[in-house]
Amino acid sequence: MIDESLVQQVVREVLKSLGRQAPEEKPAPAVGGGLDPARDYPLATQRPELVRTPGGRRLDELTLERVMSGEITADEFRITPETLRLQAEIAAAVGRRQLAENLRRAAELTAIPDERILEIYNALRPYRSTKAELLAIADELESRYGARINAAFIREAAEVYERRGRLKA
Amino acid sequence: MEINERLIEQIVTEVLRAMGEPAAAPPAPATAPAAAGVELVLEEKGPAGQGPADEVVIGVGPAFGTRLRKTIVDIPHAVVLRELMAGIEEEGLKPRVVRVRHTSDLGFIGHTAARLSGSGIAVGIQSRGTTLIHQRDLQPLNNLELFPQSPVLDPETYRAIGRNAARYAKGQVPEPVPVRIDQMARPKYQAKAAILHLKETELVQPGAPPVELEVSFKPLN
Amino acid sequence: MKRSRRFEVLAARPVNQDGFVVEWPEVGLIAMNSPNDPQPGIRIEQGRVVELDGKRREDFDMIDQFIADYAIDLDVAPRVMAMDSVTLARMLVDVNVPREEIVALTRGMTPAKIVEVVGHLNVVEMMMALQKMRARRTPSNQCHVTNLRDNPVLLAADAAEAAVRGFDEQETTVGVVRYAPFNALALLVGSQTGRGGVLTQCALEEATELLLGMRGLTSYAETISVYGTEQVFVDGDDTPWSKAFLASAYASRGLKMRFTSGTGSEVQMGYAEGKSMLYLETRCVMITKGAGVQGLQNGSISCIGIPGAVPSGIRAVLAENLITTMLDLEVASGNDQTFSHSDIRRTARMLMQMLPGTDFIFSGFSAVPNYDNMFAGSNFDAEDFDDYLILQRDLMVDGGLRPVREEEILAVRRRAAQALQAVFRELGLPPIEDEEVEAATYAHGSKEMPPRKVAEDLQAAQEMLRRGVTGLDVVRALAKHGYQDIAERVLNMLKQRVSGDYLQTSAIITADFRVLSAVNDPNDYRGPNTGYRLSGARWEEIKNIPQAIRPEDFDV
Repeated sequence: MIDESLVQQVVREVLKSLGRQAPEEKPAPAVGGGLDPARDYPLATQRPELVRTPGGRRLDELTLERVMSGEITADEFRITPETLRLQAEIAAAVGRRQLAENLRRAAELTAIPDERILEIYNALRPYRSTKAELLAIADELESRYGARINAAFIREAAEVYERRGRLKA
Repeated sequence: MEINERLIEQIVTEVLRAMGEPAAAPPAPATAPAAAGVELVLEEKGPAGQGPADEVVIGVGPAFGTRLRKTIVDIPHAVVLRELMAGIEEEGLKPRVVRVRHTSDLGFIGHTAARLSGSGIAVGIQSRGTTLIHQRDLQPLNNLELFPQSPVLDPETYRAIGRNAARYAKGQVPEPVPVRIDQMARPKYQAKAAILHLKETELVQPGAPPVELEVSFKPLN
Repeated sequence: MKRSRRFEVLAARPVNQDGFVVEWPEVGLIAMNSPNDPQPGIRIEQGRVVELDGKRREDFDMIDQFIADYAIDLDVAPRVMAMDSVTLARMLVDVNVPREEIVALTRGMTPAKIVEVVGHLNVVEMMMALQKMRARRTPSNQCHVTNLRDNPVLLAADAAEAAVRGFDEQETTVGVVRYAPFNALALLVGSQTGRGGVLTQCALEEATELLLGMRGLTSYAETISVYGTEQVFVDGDDTPWSKAFLASAYASRGLKMRFTSGTGSEVQMGYAEGKSMLYLETRCVMITKGAGVQGLQNGSISCIGIPGAVPSGIRAVLAENLITTMLDLEVASGNDQTFSHSDIRRTARMLMQMLPGTDFIFSGFSAVPNYDNMFAGSNFDAEDFDDYLILQRDLMVDGGLRPVREEEILAVRRRAAQALQAVFRELGLPPIEDEEVEAATYAHGSKEMPPRKVAEDLQAAQEMLRRGVTGLDVVRALAKHGYQDIAERVLNMLKQRVSGDYLQTSAIITADFRVLSAVNDPNDYRGPNTGYRLSGARWEEIKNIPQAIRPEDFDV
């Protein structure tokens, strides 16, 4: 879930400053993880110890030598759900609530294979699915991949498509 | 039916000569002045059904030959239809013309026609002249060949499109009709294209099934 | 009537080749302020929008609902909706009101409110506002690299040159769809030969575009279109929900992406519901915001002939760029399609974005001659490079490009073509002959290239996809053939998707692979002597065009 109190805090601060000098201080630190965008971003250079590949390697281990020796394969060049959640935290801390939500949905999708992602996308297009089919996808996302935000999002789509007549006949 | 080559040449020549001339007084509905001497008569024959395997269906937009009577570069619809039909006949197949009424979208016009076509192949055409060749099994927004820039389409190209559609219908894999792109067509024609499309879209009847059209070319006088 | 000679001369001017039409508000052929545009308004009950711009929740179409539930900050809405629109418009222009305040307020506005506020601005005021509101402090530029024959050798050479000329993003597309993997590969190798860190994309149908990104052959995506009426959205075979899901899919693979929209698309597709182009475009910007996408390409884009034909249309195009920045999104601001036969008109249209500066002034500038531009031509092309450089110098404005020397360009074009030659050899793709490398080094366009065996190329390109060739294979091929530096750069591009730093708003990557985004390079413009200022080495670079006469040139 989005950190509502944080968003409110940022909004309050900005509104408070209406008509006054722009605050010189750095953006508010995140409440939960404690990432400070001004200090900790970009993660690759400021907090490299927080970033890992799916196989648990650090960024500085991804060297040309290791690639040439075959020690590192293409699967290692993928983002992890943890890193996406860190980026979500940074986005939220600079007041980008929706971008943070997107990155959290993305964190849930990292586990789903490429082909299945494309199938689900196609199923969400207009007139492609019955309501039951969309609800089944939502259940699959939730039970199989723990993708609760995405499941709720697809259930919502099923309701909207039904109301607007965009389901498969 | 055998198409008389010379007649077509004659029509095309006359039409090209007549281009740019002011339009005649509005004729009765479903007839279109083609050029000096020829008019297009489209008679509705009821709901369009499935046809035989040796046909290519031509699906025209809601305003084709009625509210709108020529393409964006003033080629009369009579000539367009005549060329498409002649191209199909040259390859030994039969053209059948239907009016798609529930949409003005080219992809869906073409796909609707392809699903009616006994061969599964259709030509879709909007009143402004934008054309494609479609196939029953494809996604609606896909196509076999697309001619997106209506201003560069001339009678010869419509003939070639008809020919190629017939070749697909015979199971051949023809060389695509060369697509010309004019980079300056957008600034010159895009707004005009939008107006023509809007006029066509105003005639869309949601849910109305396609109708069969009987096509004839009547000499004036 | 006997014709005036003067009128005949005027009629022959290029501008009279352009198409112009009168407004037709009933169908939405109107740039701004259609009589059918709704009045701003919002009603919130129990934390939920129950009425938006005069429409009740039970009558919401998909887009209304998506905007109401995802794009509007309900904490701010009551306050800002009660504010006077003229006051808000003045705040946009007032250098004493910082960007963050405008962003916080815009978050609570409905589409009709945003349109009403922006409607009070003339184009100079819009440019002032845009200068303040763009997300990234440093302006930048994007280019197109394509050619009529999808010739990969020429693509690599042109990509390398474009990188040296200063473009931070490069976009390609195909004439023949099956060539796509080669185009992506050529752009990747060529761009990184020119300068490390350039982002590349290949505009294709959704699934293929995502696939090439997953394979590491591209580093971002842009052609994910959204529309402002439900009918057109559905005709485009998508919904806000399917597009938002696609956005998350990209992020889940660590790939940067932005949406695309633009004024005129709804009226072009016949279903504008009588609303003005800018009102509908504002809905698109808010869909993008609601989906959590970091940025948007707009500025009419492929429909530019439509706003370009009606009164105040080019002002509306500037307004849509501005609205994108007010909603705190990256803007890639158009200027990317042939717009006018008139050099005067196409320059005036471009200055609206170049002078204030945007995240990407063009999206993009054709880095090849327009006859090779497979997006059907751009507003500026490779033949305009020097005009653009001199405009930067005349006005002391950073348009993102840099003057170059011919020797430097020839060297980098040759090296890119050779590097691609080595990669093709290593990956078992149809050979690139030395004469092709030679031709690509000196060519202006594809007319000067020897023909390739297209059928073999196409087969090999499909085979390349089937074999699952990845960016890492490209790294290995480059390193194995002595292109260590380019290999390192491609590797560094792949590492970007592990850290995800470039998923943040308005990200570009510098030559030393530092991500520069609205997070660590936020726009801090507050009037004279603040914000991005052209100075130091960068100004020296822009000043020093090779064609300027030097006093010492006359010394014997």
